[in-house]
Amino acid sequence: MSNTSSRRQFVAGSTCLLTFALAGCEKKMTPAHARAAEVPFRTLDAATVAVLDTLGETLLPGSAAAGLSHYIDHQLSGDPADSMLMIKYLGVQPPFTEFYRGGLRALDALAHAVHSKGFSASSPEQATGLVGKIAGGKVEGWQGPPAGLFYFVLRGDAIDVVYGTQAGFEQLGVPYMAHIAPPSRWGE
Amino acid sequence: MNLPRDPVDVIVVGSGAAGSNMAARLAEGGKRVLILEAGPERGTGHLVSSTLYARRVKWTGPPVLDEGRNPVGFVFNSAYGTGGAAMHHYAVWPRMHAEDFDMRSRHNRGLDWPLGYADLAPFYDAIQQEAGVSGDAAREIWRPPGAPYPMPGVPVFPQGTAIARGFTKLGKTVAPLPMAVTSTNYNGRPACLWDGWCDSGCPIGALANPLTVHLPRAATAGAQLVNDAPVTKVLTSDDGTRAVGVEIALQDGTRQTVHAKLVVLAAFAVENPRLLLASATTKHPQGLGNSGGNVGRYIMTHAAGLVYGLFDEDTRPYMGAFGGQLVNQDSYPKTTHAKRGAFGSYQWMIAQAVKPNDLLGIATTRADLFGPALHDFMKRATRGFAGMTAVCEDIPVADNRVTLSDQRDVHGVPLARVTHDTHAESVALWQASLAEGKEIMQAAGAREVWTGPPGSMHIMGGTVMGTTAANSVTNSYGQVHDIPNLVLAGPGLFPTSAGVNPTFTVHALAARCAARILSTWSE
Repeated sequence: MSNTSSRRQFVAGSTCLLTFALAGCEKKMTPAHARAAEVPFRTLDAATVAVLDTLGETLLPGSAAAGLSHYIDHQLSGDPADSMLMIKYLGVQPPFTEFYRGGLRALDALAHAVHSKGFSASSPEQATGLVGKIAGGKVEGWQGPPAGLFYFVLRGDAIDVVYGTQAGFEQLGVPYMAHIAPPSRWGE
Repeated sequence: MNLPRDPVDVIVVGSGAAGSNMAARLAEGGKRVLILEAGPERGTGHLVSSTLYARRVKWTGPPVLDEGRNPVGFVFNSAYGTGGAAMHHYAVWPRMHAEDFDMRSRHNRGLDWPLGYADLAPFYDAIQQEAGVSGDAAREIWRPPGAPYPMPGVPVFPQGTAIARGFTKLGKTVAPLPMAVTSTNYNGRPACLWDGWCDSGCPIGALANPLTVHLPRAATAGAQLVNDAPVTKVLTSDDGTRAVGVEIALQDGTRQTVHAKLVVLAAFAVENPRLLLASATTKHPQGLGNSGGNVGRYIMTHAAGLVYGLFDEDTRPYMGAFGGQLVNQDSYPKTTHAKRGAFGSYQWMIAQAVKPNDLLGIATTRADLFGPALHDFMKRATRGFAGMTAVCEDIPVADNRVTLSDQRDVHGVPLARVTHDTHAESVALWQASLAEGKEIMQAAGAREVWTGPPGSMHIMGGTVMGTTAANSVTNSYGQVHDIPNLVLAGPGLFPTSAGVNPTFTVHALAARCAARILSTWSE
């Protein structure tokens, strides 16, 4: 049983980063840094990441550069008990990998069906149109997790990496006011 | 895992609001108490101020199959680890009203409680003093009789001021939201800083969670807390008339038994019935306490009436507590919205502190927006956003229930399946709250007004109290009808959900039960 601690203690607390494996070494970095350093993905393959990046940019421009794909890959690669993905709240049983893979696969198939090319090759206007379809929840021939839920989850992830961090709060002019600063400055 | 080899007086399963309260009182009463917490150890140092890290403290125990037209939202509404769900609760602590306790008799809806408001009032008074509640009893014109709050009401920030304008224009009343959050320094605890991190868990002791109030008391009185100790079965005597202890799954896959004179199940509204059902014996073939077939039934959750507005003024919506700043209970009388086909009570929690992201964050309120329009909304909303939430009563329905699944957890215990479909009159109540809320926001001067879906807040019922085994699982003290030294605690006991947040009532019931146990204890 722990005793109550003072706020001052917490503000002075750790600011270490997420652990990514790079060149055989584990290194602490933000998802944005992991993307810039081209840290290898552990769970998602390149084609899936390409769809994910395009989806992220369509949902919230800037999310790909903020490391959306590395963030999701990192979370899917760890113990579900430690997951920080919002999907935990939404009635989906862990592990969540197949939810993401299945949704991204279905989105890519939808792009092929509608525009005869993959989602990551879609123009911004085409991608926006396709995301609008899944946001509506009813997509003919959709072969993945419920389309509306998939949209909601991925949109939430994109918002998390862009606005759910100390840097994201700063962009909006919202004072972060941490008691205990989070141990990863995502989005730096 | 350091489990005692010798029998103890009391085993408490769960370290949340009810379990920590019972453990503290019983240990202070001289009993040897063992608290078994299925989840990991968590101290205040684990409570990171982040909407993302907050997700790590939510439920990660055995999966719960959350089903029905209106699922109860188990993961969001629970937690796993020291302090249970109360560790991250928002500490909105209004009292239930007298009419909540005899709804069946008054309105032919739902169930009656086996006790009345007057039975609980002294315990509300005691708990608000020891946990520290901020409020203004005189301004709460709806409040049932009781002692004044020990601390002044929580402060009102611009978001609260903006919304209050709408209530006032429509002739409605607002008062400081009663909260178990320190508005001043209190009993060695610092005053709240109003920075809105309640959902992540309050690490400074301003919010009365179990880590701050009852678990330290329990420890001081000698209670032992053991983490990572999932109980797989309640053990009963050969004749089935008494609980004799519990079986615990050890991390090496083996089981250990601990015996006790009294077993208290305080593992929340889903795990309590799961354990009772999973502990079936030849004497109790349908599960413990289930001779009347009531274990698992009447699961309830509050539908959230979410109403939002965008104002021209800077509302500073990130300031305050997560639970809100002001309250209105004008819609408490249960037939207030009968013309809309609605039944039940609701209160408004006004001006909750919000963050940009997460399930309750600003961005989620406009889930239809994406792309550049979402960025644009975020920039506008973080300056002028305001929101309020109606806590809408859920009429208890017998078929809304916890049952055992065919699937099992890693220890071989069947998973819980929770099925919940909101009663039509409760749906109508939620719709009525949205209609009223939009009117209020417009009167307040919001230039945009919108509403949200009916999210689930709180989980209650499943092991309801009553007068006989035919209509309930326990008596008014939480004693299982068929097995009197097996006691249940927590919101699972509630026969009705009322239109207010449950934690204050959970504490009052636990205090009443503990007093009864100590006054009637015989070796």
